[in-house]
Amino acid sequence: MKPETQAWRDLQAHAAGQLRAGFAGRVVRLAQGPTKKTWRLFLDQGAAQIRPGFAERVLRAARNLPGMPSFLDQFAYSIGTAALCAIVALYLHSRSLELESERNLATWQQIAMHVDDADPGP
Amino acid sequence: MDSTATNALAELVRRAQKGDEAAQHELIVSYQHRVAGFIYAMTNRSDYVEDLAQQVFIKMIRALEGLQAPAQFESWLFRLARNTCIDQLRRQKLRRIFLPFANEHENIPEASGAVGTEELDALRHALAQLRPQDRALLALVQEGRSHAEIAEVLSTSVAAVKARLHRAREHLREHYQPQS
Repeated sequence: MKPETQAWRDLQAHAAGQLRAGFAGRVVRLAQGPTKKTWRLFLDQGAAQIRPGFAERVLRAARNLPGMPSFLDQFAYSIGTAALCAIVALYLHSRSLELESERNLATWQQIAMHVDDADPGP
Repeated sequence: MDSTATNALAELVRRAQKGDEAAQHELIVSYQHRVAGFIYAMTNRSDYVEDLAQQVFIKMIRALEGLQAPAQFESWLFRLARNTCIDQLRRQKLRRIFLPFANEHENIPEASGAVGTEELDALRHALAQLRPQDRALLALVQEGRSHAEIAEVLSTSVAAVKARLHRAREHLREHYQPQS
């Protein structure tokens, strides 16, 4: 055997020695992706999180939840909220107008008093 | 599913739609494990499974009346499950934005080797690298749904499902690296 052929053989043997046992199987598994069995195990692991009596708990929870509001209910609720906001806004507006008038009146009264005091009369 | 089973399911759904609690109970028992597996695949979190499954089935009971075609029940149920998971993942994302320090508590990794095989851990890791939409797609395939049914669940076309499925499988294979 020629020395270079021998050298190639040695190199190949050295390179092959770097591969761990089961290399071919690993490559095939990687190329194919997870097997059906692995998927099954995975999905079963998720399914195992459901504790016994799950269906009863769901039905009980569904019974105890308040009913879904209908469109009319939601509409009535919106109208009610809007009306309440409008009443509060009108009340606050009228109250602020009232306070403003009282303040103006008090100022005018003061001015009138000053005018009366300053005016010596006929 | 053969036609007898389809008819039996449609009949069961009709009874459940009329408010028959026994029928609703039977539907939950029949689908709880499949829905739980699907939720696990989508969220990759075992601690979310029961809570989300409960939300899905409560939504199912409340919305069942509006289901027009009882024969389409399975696709409809998995669409509910998918939407519930996506809502949960969105909420989780928002929480991470507003509560950055909760991050470390939220991302508790699944106990490695809890079920045992290296392949299982590798699959879990690979799924965690995919988008939730792709995880849903792969989980639906494992559920045995046809491309047409998946298209219905995801409200898209069969061609789009095929293309997305191809990409999702590629991504899964890229990240799937069992150690042994």
